[in-house]
Amino acid sequence: MIKPITEEERQHAFKTQRKPEVLEKQKLDVRYHIEDPVVDGRAQKFLEAFAAILKNTNYGFVLDQYVRSSAKCSRCATECQVYQATRDPKDIPCYRSELLLSVYRRHFTVGGMLRGRVLGSKGLTDEKVNEMAESFWNCTACRRCTLQCPVGIDHGLVTHLGRYILSEIGIAPRALVISTREQLEGKTGNTSAIPVPALLDTLEFLEEDMEEEKGVKIKFPIDQEDCEYVFFPAVSDFLMEADTLMGNAAVFTATGGSWTIGTGYFDGINYGLFYSDRMLDRIVKKVVEETRRLKGRKILIGECGHASRSAKYFVPVFCGGKDAPPVVNCMEYLYDMLKEGKIKLDPNVITDPVTYHDPCNIARQGWIIDKPREILKSFCKSYVEMTPSGKNNICCGGGGGTVSIDEIRPYRTTIGGKAKAEQIRKTGAKYVVAPCANCKKQLRELMEDQGMDDVEIVGLHDLVYKAIIFDESLKVKKEEKEEETPEAVEKEVE
Amino acid sequence: MQPLMDFVAGPLFRLTFAIMLLGLLRIVVLTVWGVIQARRQTDDKVMPWKLITENTLGWLVPVLRLWKTRPIYSVVSFVFHIGLILVPIFLIGHIQLIRESIGIGWPVLSDNLADILTIVTMVTAVALFLGRLFSKEARFISRPQDYVWPVLLAIPFATGYVCNNMAIGAGVYQWTMLFHMLSAELIFVFIPFTKIAHCVLVPFSQMVSTLGWKFPPRSGEGVAETLGKKEMPV
Ligand code: SF4
Ligand code: SF4
Repeated sequence: MIKPITEEERQHAFKTQRKPEVLEKQKLDVRYHIEDPVVDGRAQKFLEAFAAILKNTNYGFVLDQYVRSSAKCSRCATECQVYQATRDPKDIPCYRSELLLSVYRRHFTVGGMLRGRVLGSKGLTDEKVNEMAESFWNCTACRRCTLQCPVGIDHGLVTHLGRYILSEIGIAPRALVISTREQLEGKTGNTSAIPVPALLDTLEFLEEDMEEEKGVKIKFPIDQEDCEYVFFPAVSDFLMEADTLMGNAAVFTATGGSWTIGTGYFDGINYGLFYSDRMLDRIVKKVVEETRRLKGRKILIGECGHASRSAKYFVPVFCGGKDAPPVVNCMEYLYDMLKEGKIKLDPNVITDPVTYHDPCNIARQGWIIDKPREILKSFCKSYVEMTPSGKNNICCGGGGGTVSIDEIRPYRTTIGGKAKAEQIRKTGAKYVVAPCANCKKQLRELMEDQGMDDVEIVGLHDLVYKAIIFDESLKVKKEEKEEETPEAVEKEVE
Repeated sequence: MQPLMDFVAGPLFRLTFAIMLLGLLRIVVLTVWGVIQARRQTDDKVMPWKLITENTLGWLVPVLRLWKTRPIYSVVSFVFHIGLILVPIFLIGHIQLIRESIGIGWPVLSDNLADILTIVTMVTAVALFLGRLFSKEARFISRPQDYVWPVLLAIPFATGYVCNNMAIGAGVYQWTMLFHMLSAELIFVFIPFTKIAHCVLVPFSQMVSTLGWKFPPRSGEGVAETLGKKEMPV
């Protein structure tokens, strides 16, 4: 358990950056920016959106289960990193979920409607909608509390649904909406708005770098058909996590794997998972479409938690169940190759203590937990474990899309990430391996704001890139290399 | 007095018991139906059965899961549930009544054990009540029924214990017994309509939550259409 935040920290975390006129106009005091929210009759519109969603989905039967069995035992309170930091009872997971469950009970169950009529209760009010708009974005949807609920309430699912309904009445963080708009309707078709020529330039540049560093021609194959894997990293990695991508490419080169990046679509990010099933659906379809266009056999996701989860769990949901292409995370591929002996890693390169942060979206349901640890232990001199970890890990504090909302950074690094920072501090590690674009961004900001600058946040493939040993046969021959040096080219020109 | 006793022990008992059974049956049927529907509608039929079973069974022995974070609470609530389930079903007095009326019976708890369990159940009920009252978190999220239940559940245990173990006059005995039966019947009636419904829902909870994430494939388009947003930009 962690110490609650001080009053000073609270003020810092909740300090709003928006102007009073804006707040007055949107009539909503939330800490994130929104675009064109519906202002009048919010409660009514919320109920309409809720009804539309219930009509077309199966959420109703899940909510029935939760409404009937919620025991209010308050066990989940001990698990939530947000509540542990704020100690504001409104951050108790069961309270948060009750916000939505009570609307369901009152407006969509017979008993609730009768009781409401008899007792003359007003039902949902605009204030309640506002409270939800704040509360569902305080939660990082990490689902740690779910493991501790004896009656099996999945607060991550309730938060997910709450945000979906809110987004249908125009209340969603602008950061996520804009990116999704560019991805689905924009010219570049990806969340970072990277045009294809710029992508190709970047990759070429990285290839040159790698050849210089490793003496091996490491390629990013583009638009190749019939590959085993079509690769979708979080597209922001092309701008911010070059080391991770170079690690991916190095691994595929060393193992002779068949993979490609498609210029038709190359973004693993799916903010639909954070605020709208409707978008989630449309985005996973783009991934599958591109994979089919290139006649690829499997979808390979880069180091990114939510991209992995949204592909792994929602490609089958939205793209034809068993007929959909299988989804593999790049760490799984790396692990298999290591076991087959196709990768050699130098055990003398990474000597500082290393620890591993489980991204919630990869570990919570028990998907990939031991593999990255085994990989790290195989070549890092000193590996330290965080506690708790694995399925029961603590969220970085930027989960559920909140990391992309820059205006709430003070909240994320004082409240959401407080527990994580203390956990990392205890390990004394130099490297925190976080195989997720979101976790990396959040953890870097967290380390900076918590004054832990000597900790380095890296991807698993970043370290692998440093330590990888290539077979001599792959090395570019001396003469070959000389030919390509600038002088050689100049000479030729002369 | 006797006619009242007969009524409470006879027709009223049967009525309330039937309400409980039918009410619980209704919930189970609805839940199973929901599970079948959800499974039918989704394209992703793969269920992580191992994980679901593990989690479902894990919660049958919650002490194992919780002793780290809330040791006292976890033991207390576990013991409370044990007594709550075992005593009414395996008490010799109850079994005799059942045998007399419908002719079947099953093994019973020894008197001593039953007494101990009864006391333990009462004590833990009080502890849970106080725990709720004095925990800031629990108090904040509690509804009235959350306070009423531990008290209500303890009443049949207390009255039953008095009748079985204390030297009391026939008159007092009758009244206590009446109170015993009435409180139990009140409990029967409320079970299906309150949080105690978790007694039949918990086995389904992990499955339901798993299926909750398996959306019907065209749900998004459906929502857009219902809301008239089909052609609207993101
Ligand atoms: S653990 Fe479950 S039942 Fe208990 S308070 Fe939390 S959500 Fe409610
Ligand atoms: S999902 Fe995570 S952040 Fe949200 S209530 Fe549960 S533990 Fe807290």
